[in-house]
Amino acid sequence: MGIFGGSKTPKNDWSAMSTVIKAEAKLQALGEITPARRAGVIYRNDDENGFLKDIDRELNTILYVGQGATKTAFEIEDDDRGMRWIVLEDGNFNDLVSSVYTVGNAISANDASENLLAAVFELYFTGTVEDNTYRSGLRTYWIYRYDRKTFYPFVPTGESEGERDRPTEARMGHDLRKHGLAVEKSLTEWMGLWGIPF
Amino acid sequence: MTSTTTRKFHKDRGLVTRMYFTMFMLGILYAVFALFLLGAGTPLIFVAPIVGIMIVVQYYMSDKLILMSTGAKEVSAEQQPELHRMVKLLADRYGMPMPRVAIIDTAIPNAFATGRNPKNALVAVTTGIQQRLSERELQAVIGHELAHVANRDMRVLAIANFLVTLTSFLMTMLFWNMLFGGMGGRRSNNGGGMMMVYLVTIIVYFIGQLLVLALTRYREYGADHTGAEISGDPGALADALEKISGTVAGIPDKDLRKLQTANAFLIIPAALKGQGSMNLFSTHPPLQERVKRLRELEARMRYGLR
Repeated sequence: MGIFGGSKTPKNDWSAMSTVIKAEAKLQALGEITPARRAGVIYRNDDENGFLKDIDRELNTILYVGQGATKTAFEIEDDDRGMRWIVLEDGNFNDLVSSVYTVGNAISANDASENLLAAVFELYFTGTVEDNTYRSGLRTYWIYRYDRKTFYPFVPTGESEGERDRPTEARMGHDLRKHGLAVEKSLTEWMGLWGIPF
Repeated sequence: MTSTTTRKFHKDRGLVTRMYFTMFMLGILYAVFALFLLGAGTPLIFVAPIVGIMIVVQYYMSDKLILMSTGAKEVSAEQQPELHRMVKLLADRYGMPMPRVAIIDTAIPNAFATGRNPKNALVAVTTGIQQRLSERELQAVIGHELAHVANRDMRVLAIANFLVTLTSFLMTMLFWNMLFGGMGGRRSNNGGGMMMVYLVTIIVYFIGQLLVLALTRYREYGADHTGAEISGDPGALADALEKISGTVAGIPDKDLRKLQTANAFLIIPAALKGQGSMNLFSTHPPLQERVKRLRELEARMRYGLR
């Protein structure tokens, strides 16, 4: 990789998350992304942990009470693979990103950083990849891995494991890195999440 | 060896030498291991016919198994005239009968061939690869797959895999046998002898595995080479490989949630992991090496160097 840009790995979740805001703004200005309203945080639930046990009430406090609260709507969903999703919805993308950060931060601040798996942003791609122009929008996800503090695009083509559009993902990853997103460099770490509940 | 109308790897002597040497070593390994099992007086040699039957079944059914496991649909000349025309043209150049043609409806670009001989061959491409490659590149990919058929790679690997599959079965059996203290054998096996057999089996398994991997690699280079000779355009396959998989091959099938839920340990014999076909992007040999060799071949062909 070149000397300029894209070669540094973020040190913490917030510096990584802030690259989403930047990249999204740039891509939207280029007309390659239509704003998405939804995102999620996925973690392994643990009822022994008081905070996680009471997550509904805790998140109400965190997201709704106090100055600067984003008032992002959220729902809790358990998937069939033993994981819990906090699905967030907000028309303001900056607020959405900051709520995702806040939720993840609260979970790790309450002794459950090991439980955190990923944050996922939903984005509709309207640009061109490999001679295909997606005028009506291609549903993509940007997955953020808490253990690596990096993102990668995910374009599922079906519900079962392994069904994904790799060439499109590879090209997008390249473009997203160009636009400042902290993209995971090791492709073998680009693991998918099939059956995302939003 | 009977002479056939199909082409072999006659242009690359080094490759042919290495390949036959590997096959020879495998043969020796087979023989030594069989003698060892007999000498050790293990009743375990009875496993061999069972594994043999499994492999034969897999070998004869491979085309059907592959069709079933990949969801490939056979297509007629009316449904896919362009694809059929392309396959026919190449099959003629190899001097082989027209193979059956199938399509897999997935965006993942790939192609494979299967069948125990040119008469029973099947070549399949995904819709993803059809969309992404130019006609010249797709032709090179199909040429490569037909080269596997022409070179009878499915048969070579089925035979080579026999030993690896057998030893992996034995390993599993011996492991459980030792764990639960024998299955009531009257000839009270002494523990040491059993351990010895187990260790030798593991060693034979690993050596066998390495030899089979080497052999797969040579067959893969061989098919690249044969395919390039037939098409006269080694660069086309290099382009296709680079275009599709240069970056793509590393993106995994795995779900991220598997990082959090530890897998129970499984012992899956090599024979059960869907072999019996030659996949365009098998992990051996590395892609960069294949592309490099194809580019060299391209240069040699272009400038008439030998």
